[in-house]
Amino acid sequence: MFKNGKCIFIAFILSLLATPIMVAAEYGDVLINNYSDEAGMRPVVFPHWFHRIRFRCKVCHADLGFKMEAGGNQINMLKIIDGEYCGACHNGEVAWAVENCDICHTGKPGQPTQVHQSTASKLTTTTKRKQAESVE
Amino acid sequence: MKKRWPMTVNTIRYLYRVIGYTLLLAATNVGLQAAESVRNGKQVYDTACGACHTAGVLQAPRLGNQEDWIAREKQGFEVLLSHAIKGFKNMPAKGGNPTIKDKEIENAINYMLAASGFDQYAQNPVKKEAAKETQQPLAADKKEPVKKTQTSSVNQFNRLMQPSSEWNPAPAKDGIHDPESPGTLLLQEPKVAFDSLSKSKSGNRVDWVKALQGNEITPRYDRLSDDASPVIMDLNIVREVKGSMPDVVYPHKQHTEWLDCSNCHPAIFIPQKGANQISMASILLGQSCGVCHGKVAFPVSECRKCHSKQKPVATESSNQASN
Repeated sequence: MFKNGKCIFIAFILSLLATPIMVAAEYGDVLINNYSDEAGMRPVVFPHWFHRIRFRCKVCHADLGFKMEAGGNQINMLKIIDGEYCGACHNGEVAWAVENCDICHTGKPGQPTQVHQSTASKLTTTTKRKQAESVE
Repeated sequence: MKKRWPMTVNTIRYLYRVIGYTLLLAATNVGLQAAESVRNGKQVYDTACGACHTAGVLQAPRLGNQEDWIAREKQGFEVLLSHAIKGFKNMPAKGGNPTIKDKEIENAINYMLAASGFDQYAQNPVKKEAAKETQQPLAADKKEPVKKTQTSSVNQFNRLMQPSSEWNPAPAKDGIHDPESPGTLLLQEPKVAFDSLSKSKSGNRVDWVKALQGNEITPRYDRLSDDASPVIMDLNIVREVKGSMPDVVYPHKQHTEWLDCSNCHPAIFIPQKGANQISMASILLGQSCGVCHGKVAFPVSECRKCHSKQKPVATESSNQASN
């Protein structure tokens, strides 16, 4: 009635589902997906570590006006091209310019905006998970 | 009523078989991840290098195209190996996959050179050795991981702490970057960048304050100028805390090396003694110190970095004196 091949195939799919998917982003990586999904672009991954090797916090968070809150800055490509936010440096003079879309827009689609590996997100996600379980 | 139970003996058998295979395959999935085998050059090429070196993405020298390789081969095998392992120009370190072993990179380069007309690399003893090595573990794959778990120490079980092998994963492996995106492979790997920096046990596993003070990094204080230097304020604020934890010493010095006064004052902290209510609960949820600590600055698991001033121990004599 059922052939072995089909059986193995179904089992293979199930085994893939059972293999955990690891999220181990670098501490401080900010995933920014304010508008990307809607616009059909991959969301942006901002690597804090890469930037803090080159600039002190003050440059972006005091001089350029980046709020210290993931998703709290309404950054869009128009502003960047006008030299605001990322565009203050990513203009071909201080750092490479905006035509390199794929270097910033590298995130997997569909992810929420957040600072990765943050204490707060770990605490709240656990709570949410527990809440969801208790509802079920 | 009879038709409500559609499970025939055959279907039950079938389901058992599916479950059996699932367990077996899941075990091999885990086994394959844990197996410590060294793959031969072609295997490595097919899984990693081929993505760029087949078509010549970003000027990668193409497999089977001797012209692409001549100048590179002249530099010597050691140089090629070091570029492939550490990354060079468009070549990401280990092709963007840090789980590939150095030995496997070596095998892959030998394979690519041999396939591109440099026959001497095909005879390379390294390759023969590797081929032998790969055949044995392939057969032993299923048994190896089982042995490992049996011999491992009881302390290896740790649900919450990442083993050091999982620290600072490459972008393509970190779960948030899209490995399909052409940009992902162009990104620098944190591990490579952090290699020469002072280490710490949490966060990025880098002690950023030490790295800055030891001139391991020289981040700009001004967007455009290398010369601007920060206005450093050397003032410690001691906050007495309730309970038995040591008091908190807040050093303005280390903070003003990175930040401007306006980053914290007055929005996060009112610059006035006693005006700020701070609790660990609010810090954990990302307020006050937690605006940075627990997100980018060292995480709050490093209790003693802040709680660093032992409370004066109340001795009998001091009690008597105060009475």
